[in-house]
Amino acid sequence: MKVSYFETGHYQPPRQLPARWPVAPDNYDGAAGARSYSGMVERLGLVETLGFDWVSVAEHHYSPHRLTPAPTVSAAYLAACSRRIKIAVLGPIVSQSNPVQVAENLAMLDNMMPGRLVVGLLRGVTGEYLTYGLNPQEARERTTEATELILKAWTEPQAFGWQGRHFRFRTVSVWPRPMQQPHPPTYALGASRESCALAARHQLGLGVAYGPFEVMGRAVRYYREQCAQYGWQPAPEHIIYRANILLAKTDGAAQDLLEARRGPRDSFPLPAGVRDALVQLDRRNIAGETRTPAIGGTLPINFCGGPDTIVEQIKRCRAESGAGVIDLMFQIPGAADLSFLMQSLELFGKKVLPHIRDV
Amino acid sequence: MQVSYFETARYQVPPSMPAEWPVPPVAYDPETGAQAYQGMVDRVRHVEELGFDWVSLSEHHYSPRILTPNTAVSASYIAARSKKIKIAVLGPIVSQSNPVQVAEELAMLDTLSEGRLVVGLLRGTTNEYLTFDLNPAEARERTTEAMELILKAWTEPQPFGWQGRHYQFRTVSVWPRPLQQPLPPTYSLGTSRESCEFAARHHIGLGVSFAPFPVVAKSTRYYRDECARWGWEPAPEQMLYRANILLAETDEEAEELLEKQRHGTAPFPMRAGVRDALLKLDQRNVAGEARAPNVGGVLPTSFYGGPDTVVEQIKRCREEVGVGVLDLAFQNPGAPDTGRLVHSLELFADKVLPRIRGV
Amino acid sequence: MTQAGEAFREGHVEADGFRIRYMAAGAGPPLVHLHGAGGLRLTPGHDLLSRQFRIVALEMPGFGTSSENTRTRSQAELAATMAEAVDKLGFDKFNLMGTSFGGKTALWLAAQQPDQVQALVLEAPAAIRPEGSEPPSGSPEEMARRLYAHPERVTLPPPPDPAVRAQTGRLVARLRGPDRDPDLEVLLATLAVPTLVLFGTLDRVIPPEMGRHYKTLLPNCNLVLVYDAGHAISTDRPEAFAEVVGDFVERREAFVISRNETVIHP
Repeated sequence: MKVSYFETGHYQPPRQLPARWPVAPDNYDGAAGARSYSGMVERLGLVETLGFDWVSVAEHHYSPHRLTPAPTVSAAYLAACSRRIKIAVLGPIVSQSNPVQVAENLAMLDNMMPGRLVVGLLRGVTGEYLTYGLNPQEARERTTEATELILKAWTEPQAFGWQGRHFRFRTVSVWPRPMQQPHPPTYALGASRESCALAARHQLGLGVAYGPFEVMGRAVRYYREQCAQYGWQPAPEHIIYRANILLAKTDGAAQDLLEARRGPRDSFPLPAGVRDALVQLDRRNIAGETRTPAIGGTLPINFCGGPDTIVEQIKRCRAESGAGVIDLMFQIPGAADLSFLMQSLELFGKKVLPHIRDV
Repeated sequence: MQVSYFETARYQVPPSMPAEWPVPPVAYDPETGAQAYQGMVDRVRHVEELGFDWVSLSEHHYSPRILTPNTAVSASYIAARSKKIKIAVLGPIVSQSNPVQVAEELAMLDTLSEGRLVVGLLRGTTNEYLTFDLNPAEARERTTEAMELILKAWTEPQPFGWQGRHYQFRTVSVWPRPLQQPLPPTYSLGTSRESCEFAARHHIGLGVSFAPFPVVAKSTRYYRDECARWGWEPAPEQMLYRANILLAETDEEAEELLEKQRHGTAPFPMRAGVRDALLKLDQRNVAGEARAPNVGGVLPTSFYGGPDTVVEQIKRCREEVGVGVLDLAFQNPGAPDTGRLVHSLELFADKVLPRIRGV
Repeated sequence: MTQAGEAFREGHVEADGFRIRYMAAGAGPPLVHLHGAGGLRLTPGHDLLSRQFRIVALEMPGFGTSSENTRTRSQAELAATMAEAVDKLGFDKFNLMGTSFGGKTALWLAAQQPDQVQALVLEAPAAIRPEGSEPPSGSPEEMARRLYAHPERVTLPPPPDPAVRAQTGRLVARLRGPDRDPDLEVLLATLAVPTLVLFGTLDRVIPPEMGRHYKTLLPNCNLVLVYDAGHAISTDRPEAFAEVVGDFVERREAFVISRNETVIHP
């Protein structure tokens, strides 16, 4: 089992922030922002020493909770501050970016840190539609086309034009090429039927997130069936499971923290009118079964307890979902409690990691 | 006088490489790619030690000659590997990017670099119209609107929408903000009347490039007049001049090397039919006087000679053009490796830099 | 829904001892089309192009219901025959488009008459194929799956007469030539005619990866991939097809320069 540490920035505002998204930039504190980035570097050093396999960054806009609207910019910085740990960009929201630009940025990263880049291509969570004015009805199609164009831009040896439905280019000729051949390990992020089919068709991995193991397992099974139709079998490392983890010294302590955590803790709370409209427009599914889009609600904790319990849960996760990589977002009791975060990481590195290597 | 070193992350081009732009990716070699970025970092650290004030990057696509299709990503990598040198992105081609994305990337970069960022906003060289299909007839308008939107995105305290001619957003609310307040040092890059007027109106600097002193002096004069109309006077450091320099031990040696260069290949040679069409379509001006665009051709060398001669040229430049920052592209004609480049840099730091500080 | 090709009118020319049928429509610069191994069939792409060009789709001798062609021995010969037909139509300079099998013919024609062909468009050309390629065959349903990205969206044409099919099958087998033709490829190196090569990303007859070879061989060539289109690009995505073909025929290599208007509101 490989383990990835999901770095989310942990911006600690000096004052209480207004709840609703988007939070006015007026509230931003430069010093706190600077500390957030230096904290990222500090945690990177720790997890690399502890032996985590990857560190991951995601793309989120207009948000004080995650200060990474441009994950390739933070990835470049982290790459320069580390030696061996892989850096997973999970992932550029390809439906609303220029796919050629995405391909270029990732190829640059791949050359800057040979052999260490991992890529996840994402459609984007529902709230992100509001960032650059992406029409929710078009998101799926745009994601599929963008993914195909990115893969082509990485692998086509000659300059080419692209007559797409949503993207059109007369000239694409990406320099540099990715160093890893045919391209960096790439995952389609999302448990939907379309994501599974796309991943199977192009021999990409699959990334699923936050759902119960068994539900994610269904998506993974669908993915494997699709892969079989295309004549190949994915290995466990082809499947990433992004999850929340609340790790404390003992099960009891973890339980207490879990209780204390209850109550609304929305990452991207939208005005009701907007949220309702989005729920109507956003079609989501898990391997074909419709599911309600998660719009800015609280995400479940998937691993909770002391070290031994976590080890058991990870083993069960592997058995039920088949994931070979877990990408962990470490929960902390309060926004300000970064020391708890560091402790959790140490605890994980020393008491969990050694027992799950062979899972 | 402040001095900036222009870094291209140059990929060592073997003689067999096809010359025409775009260069097909098939010509790429991974070893050489990795060396290009490693070389970039090495040179940045070296010039930092030697006392250069800035290192600068530019945005170019689909070519091994300048391997930085995204200045923010490469700048981020450099930021992590340097301590005090300023990092100047000169500059993102705003006419063909998502301006909000540019604002976000640069705000992150300013924070990651702990306030060492300098920004130049660019319309783009003529060949770059082909990268992402920018209509040359729209380039000027798109640049102006993009620049306004970027400045707004950095400074507007409340979330806002933007009903532009070429860009439309319902919601803009950039997090993080730049660390440097209210803005990082920002320059409008271009000799045109529109560039000068924009810079004057928005109290930002002006960047001119490559043309001989009398030509660029027209722009800086026009810019200063415009600033006066808006009721302010720019400091010398608010004007920068990017230029080619060929520094050798003696004047004679420089002359010889310059001769060699006259027969060298243009950086972005294009197919005749395309070049001819672009020449007709690309409207360029220097402070209002029309000038023919340079479509991927060889650029003049403004500073050449032994150290004494170059010092005199720099003094003359300051007098005639008025700029307080020189962004120097050190020429390396015919040399297959970077040894001579590094030698030039050391010679510059040793014999030129100390004598022009007070200029 | 109108049938593709409704506005096209039939005609005939005598050339090289053959009676050559053609379908033509539109007004404007001439665009001559050489069909694929399945014969002359008008598509929505043709209709769209007829708004910009005088498009003449020639039926090559031995295809369709014309009598069996046992004379032509090679693609080069076929190209020469078609060149004569074009001449008889009264075109001195013209634009040329070839589809699949006809793409190879068009390449030969352009190589033989470089001063007359102003722009060359190759739709999923069959001139360069992976080793061991076989032309598609089988039931109409099987053929549809091979030719179209989304066969379920296409109204299949009526199946061809078995005799016609057998006859064209023999002709194609004789003329298609090797997967790589060194004689042709030598000529391509000096073919200065601006050339556009199109491949659908879902082409299951000739892999789109073949496109890059034309880029390396031809000195003035642009490769464009048509997303979500199969081998029959002009049927699968007629608008995307017509836009790029029309622009290329009009502006040739300068078609890489955008003239899109992106003003949202004045």
